[in-house]
Amino acid sequence: MNTANRLAPYMFMAPAAVIMGLCLLYPLGYMIYGSFLDWNPSQSIGEADFVGFKNYINLFFDPAFRESLGVTLTFAVSVVIAELVIGVGLALLLDRNIRGMSLLRTLFILPMMIAPVVVGLMWRYMYHPTVGTFNRFLKSIGLEGVDWLGQNALLSVIIADIWQWTPFIFILSLAALQSLPRSALEAARIDGATNWQQIVYIKIPLMMPVLIVTALLRLIDAFKVLEVILVMTEGGPGLSTEIVALRISRTATEFRELGTAAAMSNYLLILLLLLTVAMFAFTRFQDARAARLARQVQEEG
Amino acid sequence: MQYQRQNPAFFALLVALIFMAVGPIVLMFANSFKLDVDIIGGTTGLLFLPTIQNYETALCDVLWYEPEHLDFCALKFGGAFVNSLIIALVSTLLTLVIGTMAAYALVRFRFFGRDTVSLTTLTVRMVPPAVLLVPVFGLWNNEFCIDKATYVGGWIRDTFGGRGDVCLAGTHSGIILIYVAMNLPFVIWILQSFIVQVPRSLEESARVDGAGPFQVFFKIVLPLIKPGLAAAAIFTFRIAWNEYLLASALSDRNTKTVPILIVNNMSEFNVEWGVIMATGMLLAIPPIIFTLFASRQIITGMTAGAVKG
Amino acid sequence: MLRSFKSAALGATAAIALATSAIAGPYDAYEGETLIVNFPAHPHFDAVMKILPEFTKETGIEVEVDQLPYLKMRERQTLELAQDEGEYDLIAYVVFSKADYVYANQLENLARYFMNPKLADPSYDADDLIDGYVYNIGFAGGNKGYLEGKTGSLYGIPYGSETSILGYRKDIFEKHGLEVPETYDEMLEIACKIPELEPGMGGLSSRAASGHHASHAFLLHLAPLGGRVFDDQWTPIVNNAAGVQAAEALKTIVDCGPEGAASFGFGEALGSFLNGDTAMFLDTTVVAGQINDPKKSQVVGKVGWAMHPMGVRRGSQTGGFGIGIPANAENKDAAFLLMQWLTSKKGDKLVALAGGNPSRFSTHADADVNAKFPHMATFGEALQHADPDWRPIIPVWGKINADLGTTLSKVLTEGLDVQTALDGVAERTKAVMEEAGYYTWQ
Repeated sequence: MNTANRLAPYMFMAPAAVIMGLCLLYPLGYMIYGSFLDWNPSQSIGEADFVGFKNYINLFFDPAFRESLGVTLTFAVSVVIAELVIGVGLALLLDRNIRGMSLLRTLFILPMMIAPVVVGLMWRYMYHPTVGTFNRFLKSIGLEGVDWLGQNALLSVIIADIWQWTPFIFILSLAALQSLPRSALEAARIDGATNWQQIVYIKIPLMMPVLIVTALLRLIDAFKVLEVILVMTEGGPGLSTEIVALRISRTATEFRELGTAAAMSNYLLILLLLLTVAMFAFTRFQDARAARLARQVQEEG
Repeated sequence: MQYQRQNPAFFALLVALIFMAVGPIVLMFANSFKLDVDIIGGTTGLLFLPTIQNYETALCDVLWYEPEHLDFCALKFGGAFVNSLIIALVSTLLTLVIGTMAAYALVRFRFFGRDTVSLTTLTVRMVPPAVLLVPVFGLWNNEFCIDKATYVGGWIRDTFGGRGDVCLAGTHSGIILIYVAMNLPFVIWILQSFIVQVPRSLEESARVDGAGPFQVFFKIVLPLIKPGLAAAAIFTFRIAWNEYLLASALSDRNTKTVPILIVNNMSEFNVEWGVIMATGMLLAIPPIIFTLFASRQIITGMTAGAVKG
Repeated sequence: MLRSFKSAALGATAAIALATSAIAGPYDAYEGETLIVNFPAHPHFDAVMKILPEFTKETGIEVEVDQLPYLKMRERQTLELAQDEGEYDLIAYVVFSKADYVYANQLENLARYFMNPKLADPSYDADDLIDGYVYNIGFAGGNKGYLEGKTGSLYGIPYGSETSILGYRKDIFEKHGLEVPETYDEMLEIACKIPELEPGMGGLSSRAASGHHASHAFLLHLAPLGGRVFDDQWTPIVNNAAGVQAAEALKTIVDCGPEGAASFGFGEALGSFLNGDTAMFLDTTVVAGQINDPKKSQVVGKVGWAMHPMGVRRGSQTGGFGIGIPANAENKDAAFLLMQWLTSKKGDKLVALAGGNPSRFSTHADADVNAKFPHMATFGEALQHADPDWRPIIPVWGKINADLGTTLSKVLTEGLDVQTALDGVAERTKAVMEEAGYYTWQ
């Protein structure tokens, strides 16, 4: 092999490596450095004072930050669980050859393709206490209106996210279902397994690897949500929907404390890293188990 | 294919699901043709006199006539739309080219540092844009700059105008660069699963015929992974088109994108629902078109991304 | 000899040139220049947009406007003003930005311009500008550091002066024989009576959403009820009896207000009044234009205006914007000319007729303006009772304001006890002030 060929992989990699290094890794390093500074947007980083771990310690004891961390976790966990249950449930229910299935899938993708900003404003309108669709409907059938973005803001935000992202899980689990080995299902049916038994003992375990990856993807994305909430509630009322991402952006722009915002970003990053590692370990474990299970099922058949 | 017969309850469920998925979008569409008085005043349902006034307000800077109901053109939607288009298209193109090359290298070559690169790519995927806000804001405004006293800086200032040192912040390039970086990990990840499926024998026979690694890549591999490219393109475009947070930190008055315009327009003094819905609808149209025409590619892309793990 | 003749001739031509330029007007030197200005998306500045073509026609100076929502505008300015060379030639700023900008030396002191005979218009009549607003928005370095006084000087000119005013539904008040409230007790009583008299209608719509909105609504009641955020030693006293009374007033108003009032921002609060869902509205004067606009309002002609009710004193808010010249601007002189034109008697009247909020006594008394907007006389009177110190204007205020706003929102939605909430705010405010060095001299 000549030199050109030996260099080829590096040349293929180079542009991506340079861009990711310069625009992702370097900024992350810059952020970690910045999190030790008392730094406001009118200063360049060189003019800022070094304060050590002060930002981290302050944040750790800051009830507002803790609350927004709690809100973030509540939001992320509830949307992932709700979407998994609904999405997988629908997939199991609709896993058959019916006319209109492809149309349904196409229309189902729409919500997730639309800009979060637009989703936010659509729901903000529908939740409006007086002119909104929901309260108008409730009143037209003689019920009391609900204070959606007031008393029940977090729930309302969660519902909007479920609307937007359940289709993602639905489509992935449907694809997983349809690629299951037919032989295993056939065998179970011959053995007289009821529909319910098939679902619990065969379909779900076999889908598990895909479901876990899907859940992980959704979880990571749930931590990225910002625009929908920004447009719908701006984090209010109180701090009830102020997720960490929103608090970072407010701290940087509204309170003008870049150092604190950087430390906050770092906390979020560490949290996400822990989650990812945990999920990866779990996937490995589950993979092995699922493989064993699949083998068993096939052997029994 | 033989369709199974289903009981009617099933179709009722399907209709309900479709209604739930599409209802809010249809509602927005309908409201974008209503006057504010109608939206607030309570003419519910689809019985109303449609007006294109909201769209006239939104698009006043590109209309060839001056709409009567406007005293001056406040929303510069046309300009923002062009910015969004430039930024989304260029960043999608760059991401695809760079990403495919990297994915190809990761799949087909064994080289020093491959595992590190692969792992890094996977990990940076989880970084939320909000985490990048502070460093990108700082770097793009203060560090990634060319002094205007230097030759290049001076040339840029002479040619393109503007004042002060030449920085990435406030330029199209600045926003494009961060979008490319943000989308690369995802594109590399998704394309790997497509490149793996390209039969090695094809490449080897080409190499035997004397083709270099770049020729093999462009002539053999690229055409074969078109479906993967389409899927990756749509996802990249979607993010670049819809993103708000970083763009709002990096853009100035000339490089505003549509999401920024929409959020800005939800000003607290005057919630003009009709106009907001119209701008929202205009922003949503390109993704909706993609979805209707390329839903198969989108689904392929989604499943490829998840199944690969 | 010849040489001296030549120079004399030259001098003569120069003198003629000067003379012609003087005749042609002060704007000549700047004709064809383009000013880039940063204004908020706000009804007053929408009105300004309508009169700017007039300025260009008169002076030949082009104006390009970057209009942003006002919080965004502040973020943008933070960044722009910190550069060595900035993009904006003239900016409008929110009152509480004054502290930041002046402290960081980012706004031009206007003395230089008013001293320059080529720029300053002798007929400007600065005494006609409403005092409280010049002190509140334009001055810095005097009393408390942020007001007028012997050590103060001028950095901006108020433009778009707002105060708080009570709008009420004449038809509803007449129908039930209600008196227009003069005091806080009367106002709160009526606010809670309305939902009983008119089922489905809220008493008074106020902003209350988390953050800036809730804090603003609270401060609106704090000044008339005799409270202040700080005493003269910068000790937070927001949790004293007056503070508690103000927070309780806000809570009563929200509880007796329209549905969903606790999540109302300014837009929603106004929307509810425009839609006829509330009987009273207590907030800025800037809304008058929309209330009289049949495209947006269902209550055209049904609204009467009254002064902000008294608690222990008159103390309506001083709000709105000022305009100033950034220290890093490119065309400062031309920017001053625009600023002077906009705030002159003529400009102020033009903007008032276009639906803006004038800042001069003479405009409020002007016959044409009053013929078009009959409420202008009441507004003018209200402006004179405005309290320039209803809200502190110090650099750390942004942080305190955010804390106050989120804590009050908890009082309104989560039932947090008022005294506990305000004690918490006072304690955290004290820490912020301590860190910022306000207790160095104690």
